[in-house]
Amino acid sequence: MEKEALDAISVAVQEGDADKLVSAVTAALENLPPLDIIRNGMMIGLKKIGDMFGSGEIFLPEMLMAAEAFQEAMKVVEPKLIESGQTIESSGKVVFGTVVSDVHEIGKNIVITLMKTNGFDVLDLGANVSPTTFVAEAEKYGADVIAMSALMTTTMTYQKDTIDYLKEKGLRDKYIVLVGGGPVNPEWAEQIGADGSSDSAVGAVELATRLITNKRGGNPA
Amino acid sequence: MINFIDVCDRAATGPMMLQKDYDTKVFIPALRRAIKKYDIKYDRKELVNTDDTLADRIFEAAVEFYSEVGTYITDTERVIQFSKPEILEGVEDAPKEAYFGEGPDRCVMKGRMPDSDELPYCHVGSGTNTTEENALRLVESYARISKAKTISIPIINTLGHIRTAAGAPTEVFASIRAMQYGREGCRRAGRPGLGIIDHVSSASTGVSTIASSAPQFGARPSDGWLVSPFAELKTDYSSLNQTAYLTAWGANIGQEAGPILGGYAGGPEGLAIVNTAYSLHGILVIRATYHLIYPIHMTHVCSSHPDVLWATSLSTQAIARNMGVPYYTLLYAAAGAATKMYFDEALACLLMLIASGSGIEDVHPGRAKITDGCTPVDMEFTCQVGHACKGLTRKEADKLLKKIVPKYADKLADAPLGEKVDECYDLDYFKPKPHFEKLYAEVLEDIKSEFGIDLVRY
Repeated sequence: MEKEALDAISVAVQEGDADKLVSAVTAALENLPPLDIIRNGMMIGLKKIGDMFGSGEIFLPEMLMAAEAFQEAMKVVEPKLIESGQTIESSGKVVFGTVVSDVHEIGKNIVITLMKTNGFDVLDLGANVSPTTFVAEAEKYGADVIAMSALMTTTMTYQKDTIDYLKEKGLRDKYIVLVGGGPVNPEWAEQIGADGSSDSAVGAVELATRLITNKRGGNPA
Repeated sequence: MINFIDVCDRAATGPMMLQKDYDTKVFIPALRRAIKKYDIKYDRKELVNTDDTLADRIFEAAVEFYSEVGTYITDTERVIQFSKPEILEGVEDAPKEAYFGEGPDRCVMKGRMPDSDELPYCHVGSGTNTTEENALRLVESYARISKAKTISIPIINTLGHIRTAAGAPTEVFASIRAMQYGREGCRRAGRPGLGIIDHVSSASTGVSTIASSAPQFGARPSDGWLVSPFAELKTDYSSLNQTAYLTAWGANIGQEAGPILGGYAGGPEGLAIVNTAYSLHGILVIRATYHLIYPIHMTHVCSSHPDVLWATSLSTQAIARNMGVPYYTLLYAAAGAATKMYFDEALACLLMLIASGSGIEDVHPGRAKITDGCTPVDMEFTCQVGHACKGLTRKEADKLLKKIVPKYADKLADAPLGEKVDECYDLDYFKPKPHFEKLYAEVLEDIKSEFGIDLVRY
């Protein structure tokens, strides 16, 4: 019975069907603890969606719909979770934005969606984000990672500015800094002193996971 | 066709919404409806579409889709909407020819049908980025390619030791210098009238474009200016300002877009519709006299992937058969320059485009991630393929691609990085270095023996 309910929740997430998911979650809350519903139902569905995206079986629209449905269901289950005094362990906290003078957001949005399906808490700073804003928001959010996207060769330079500003403030070692975007390659990441870059959303999530695990003293995959 | 001033009015008065809602509540549902209603399916049996009715359904789907989604303006958070009759009137009234260059180098780009005997329009330059030191010699090397009708000039990343930055004075300087080097490089190659149709590649902002387009720096209205949106079907006042300036000048405006397979467009079916819809946006919003598309695969960051090839063949045919606008395509290879894999990918891309009715541009090596990552040999290769393969039918192209694509498809993720132009090409003597010359001679021999295509070096 419990398994059936959790499976139904997972399937509703994968289908990106918010109405179906909210009613399945509402019904399950009668019998199951909220943390169980999130961990063993909703997160399982989201993980499957992330895996399917990684293997090219589905694309951004399907992943976005699943993430939206997940958020709707969280509105129902989160108050119960708070009441229960339990919490969900985060994979890591990320502030993510497209650098100043660059308005291209799709690459960032794809990575953010995939990060969320993998249990990261992500603060989306949007586009045209200045170096000081990246750092101020990371401080406020208690971030593990600062992630910067740039689509143009002429905006990549602002990724370097943010890293330089972190150094000036003596904060460089506090954060994992990831860079990405159309023209960004590992050579550039190394040159500006970033912790890494990736060509793909899947690669970015794997990189963030590995670096956070390292930083927390865990065993890197 | 609706007047540009009325388009600007709609940008200021159209329905207001959050960008996120435009993506998820307008764009994605409308695209899904169009795919279903017009029965667009990719059966993976073809790499080059050969079905005219499917190409025409893509056009109808794109018209309906664009009439529902319009173009989102980020500055005003409003949507510029067009009715179906307005879109169809725009298609009817859109320029069907674009004239570039002057004197003996003046030429025309026009629409071309699938399976056509006409020579495909051969353009070279493919959005290279470089240092100021290399810019002039690179342009000269492009302009020396006699079969190239027009060129693109490189983006200048550095001024001396300083990296240029978007929106900064360095960008204004770099844009002006790119323009000056572009014109001087053509003059040195003996083709002073050659049209440069990617103005101003070093400028990402309206102010840099307009500043560097002043005639004292060498720009002519017979060149072409690319005005880009961002994914998907969004633009801003900076781009509309460029259109306002260029329209008032009477210059050629190019609609450019790089839709992403796997992004908001979803899979190959959605990409084919979105590719096509961009030309509608180009006609109505950007006031395009010519059109450039560069679709790309989200995961592999290239266009030589089978799904992108099929979708692009389909949208190219939809546009060629139903719009007849001047049109060319820039595609991306995963492998870097001076590698055999690059030439396999480039050949597949070019054959698909030629048979489907597009003009061609050199396929960009190395996922466009490498400074100085393109070579003039890539550009010569493009013109050689264009001239050797005019008249190629879609059926013939599909058959060839079924032999070429398997050569590289499973290597896309780990494609070789290749070389930078300085490593494999002598920019003083304008010829490949010996190791690259040897590799290229082998490539041409392989193409002749494996596929029966005899590529003549000009």
